Amino acid sequence: MHLAQAPAGACALRLVDPIPSSPMGETHDVLVVGAGCAGMRAAIEAFDHGANVGVISKLHPTRSHSGAAEGGINAALGNTADDSPETHAFDTVKGSDYLGDQDAIEIFTREAPGDIYQLEHWGAVFSRNADGKLAQRPFGAAGSPRTVFAADITGHVLIHVLYEQLMKRLATDASRLTVYEEFFAWRLVVDGDRCVGVICWDLLRGGLKLLEGTATVLATGGAGRIYRTTTNAYACTGDGMSMALHAGLPLKDMEFMQFHPTTMYPTGILLTEGCRGEGAYLINKDGERFMARYAPNALELASRDVVSRSEQTEIDQGRGINGSVLLDMRHLGAERILDRLPGSRELSMTYAGVDPIYAPVPVRPGAHYHMGGVETDEWGRTELDGLYAAGETACVSVHGANRLGGNSLMETITFGRRSGQHAAEWSHSSGTSGASGAGSAALGDAERDLKVLLDRTTGERPWSIRDDLGGTMLESFGVFRREEQMSAAIDTVDSLRERYGQVVVEDKGTVFNNDLTQAIELGNAIDLAACMLQAGLARRESRGAHSRPHDHPTRDDENFLKHSITRWLDGRPELSYKEVRMTKWEPMERTY
Amino acid sequence: MKVGLKIWRYDSTSGDRALREYEIDAPEEATLLDCLDIVKDRYDGTLAYRKSCRMMICGSCGMRMDGGAVLACKTRMYDIAQAGHVPVISAMGNLPIVKDLVVDMDPFWGKIRAVQPYLQPRYDQATEKENVVPAERMEPIHKESLCILCGCCVSECNSMESDPDFLGPAALAKGMRFVGDPRDGAAVERLESYSEEHGIWDCTRCYFCQERCPKGVDPRDAIAKLGAEAMRNGIDRDMGARHAKWFVTSAKTTGWLRETELVPKTQGVVASIKEIKFAMGLARHGKVPPPFPPHVAADVNESRALYDRVKEQGRDGAQGIVQGEKALRHLSHEAEGADGAYGKGGDYPTPYLPQLEEKEKA
Repeated sequence: MHLAQAPAGACALRLVDPIPSSPMGETHDVLVVGAGCAGMRAAIEAFDHGANVGVISKLHPTRSHSGAAEGGINAALGNTADDSPETHAFDTVKGSDYLGDQDAIEIFTREAPGDIYQLEHWGAVFSRNADGKLAQRPFGAAGSPRTVFAADITGHVLIHVLYEQLMKRLATDASRLTVYEEFFAWRLVVDGDRCVGVICWDLLRGGLKLLEGTATVLATGGAGRIYRTTTNAYACTGDGMSMALHAGLPLKDMEFMQFHPTTMYPTGILLTEGCRGEGAYLINKDGERFMARYAPNALELASRDVVSRSEQTEIDQGRGINGSVLLDMRHLGAERILDRLPGSRELSMTYAGVDPIYAPVPVRPGAHYHMGGVETDEWGRTELDGLYAAGETACVSVHGANRLGGNSLMETITFGRRSGQHAAEWSHSSGTSGASGAGSAALGDAERDLKVLLDRTTGERPWSIRDDLGGTMLESFGVFRREEQMSAAIDTVDSLRERYGQVVVEDKGTVFNNDLTQAIELGNAIDLAACMLQAGLARRESRGAHSRPHDHPTRDDENFLKHSITRWLDGRPELSYKEVRMTKWEPMERTY
Repeated sequence: MKVGLKIWRYDSTSGDRALREYEIDAPEEATLLDCLDIVKDRYDGTLAYRKSCRMMICGSCGMRMDGGAVLACKTRMYDIAQAGHVPVISAMGNLPIVKDLVVDMDPFWGKIRAVQPYLQPRYDQATEKENVVPAERMEPIHKESLCILCGCCVSECNSMESDPDFLGPAALAKGMRFVGDPRDGAAVERLESYSEEHGIWDCTRCYFCQERCPKGVDPRDAIAKLGAEAMRNGIDRDMGARHAKWFVTSAKTTGWLRETELVPKTQGVVASIKEIKFAMGLARHGKVPPPFPPHVAADVNESRALYDRVKEQGRDGAQGIVQGEKALRHLSHEAEGADGAYGKGGDYPTPYLPQLEEKEKA
């Protein structure tokens, strides 16, 4: 399990005896929770800045969902056509429906090219142009072909190159890097005004464990599993957002859940925007390229919110097939599909039973990416000293109300790096938190709560609550949103929380008890759903991914050009607002 | 649809194991992973298996179905259920079982780490922008970089069954990913290290890894490429390398395999002396052709021409291994849908079943 030369209790496992909870945990300068692209990038940077780093992940790092990203990663390299960070920034601001913080976006687009070159130097196997430079493909709402890619498995290539770099550092100095694989992070430990560690459940051997960190970086990814169908992995349950929320921190822009336009019927598995980037058409049941009516210039390559709404309108107005429209790649030809989109072809064949060389694939909008998350500044800092967040868990915010395809992988790298650097530097300058007893107190609380949960023998198992939650969110908080549906869903989620209060974990064992962790994940999901619904209900406008065509069909900059901020108070979400930081782009009408 | 599953349950704390049968109702598009989810949700919350992406990219859900490794999320159940077949699901092979379908992957990761799985840049000073590399020079590692480290190949590896220290197909494919990378500067050191005991020459070439890889990585081809690269760099101390070289020399000179010389050429003269008694026995039964005058095959010119042609093409080393090139393209090129690509229901080869299973069946 553990990659490092083992500290006590974290040695390579030869499984027999589960190790009981122990107040004696490990101490690190920087703890990173989550080992996807953002987490590993943060860990690498913190290590390179001299920190002793612990990485906690409920999955082996290469199993993380960043690896499922397909189409690519945006940086204005200008290898295929003229481009600049300024153009990238403007596209991102416009894509965000002017809700993105422009200072953060400018940092992001300026630093992105350097980060890409570094990934290439580390060995990332990107696709290349005939001249041997990195190839770039067009993506939605981008003014230039800017998306660097590795066929259609870009996330896979990135997660492996980051894991390789982690292994390299482990080979260099194992005393400064420990990877706690298959450790489920449950709670943050807060001591007064700073975060001092994390309480985890050791999945393989059982037992709660306190890991102390002078600084902690949350990089646990998104929460797509709140929905019944989603592109997200089973692991994407919003653990980090929930941990922060329940530690008293604010979540930002939680109403903005992106629906990706091309997810397959019926599984919700993603087909990359790269399909359209390579030239695929979207057609309705009459064979019409309907995007011409919605986005006459950009067509299929309008921004994701626009394409998803167009598809949903076609479906709602009876021009779909089985609740889907069709993604047509036939005209691209076998050679291009096999060269540029082999993974999408394999996915279509396996899960939709369709070979895109010969037939169009049924697709529909599906829950994909959370623009919102733990509020941070441009160094990943939260309002709690010693706590950072990066990647989908965080909301910096560069995506605002709608993220551009290819910007999320770039965000994980750029802001993962920045968080790791700052966390390492802060940990050196701030001194250790000292033995305050906060850790053992928190561990005691966690043990008591865990005992209550495991001792309960009658009640409802998690799956029926999970299915009800997923169905409610899909129906009430999808592409188009209605006031009365959101209100009703808030009540439904409250009743689900009540049912969850009597949830039963059937597996009482200690070894690989993911019946237990899945129950805890469900609790996270319920509270996050409540935050999303409440913020959505209160935002009486249509902006980016939040669309209310029936009562508030337009953007309202006068009242809602601001971030929503949600805190958890007395068992309920409490809403407030915060200004958007603007630099040089005034809000304009947004057409594609 | 009704789906039947027999699942090997195992509890490492008590050592108890049992084959449990489940019958569930599943949607027609269900994969094996979906079916396991239904069992865990509705029938038995204690069932343990790994899962995450459910789209064959994270590599979590490797397990065995009817004795052969599969990714549960890639395995559609429709045809199997329609055929009335009740498959046996068990944990992957060659790795210790932790619980039910969960194996201890630590030995697996240890071997990945043993091949120095990171780029060792050829240049000290990084360029300001990207390294410029012609696209075709990256082609030799195209397949290897598809690996998701699921362990299906290792589960089926015959060599690892007899030598648990064998580096194995996944780690060696990872090694080839760097040996074949024009940006890596440590190819020779890597090949030296991979050529040691438990390395490339300990592969028995059973091709089970290639057969079972769910991503078209073709690990056996990767091992072949490493062998060819090692020989191109003059790293041929190992008996396996010398054995292969002698095949070429023998075919080139006389057009057939001169077996009498094979033993000394492979094992060396000293080691061959020990085999004299065995050789005498063979000779008594007329199994050893007289060494003089050397027998030359009638069509020897054909084999010499073939040798010259290969030399002319300059396909030394990994470039000479062309089998299965172009990853993912091995999927059939017809409009056949999902079933055709992955075999019909019940059509699952069964390399070997756990012996215990046979016992319990009886």
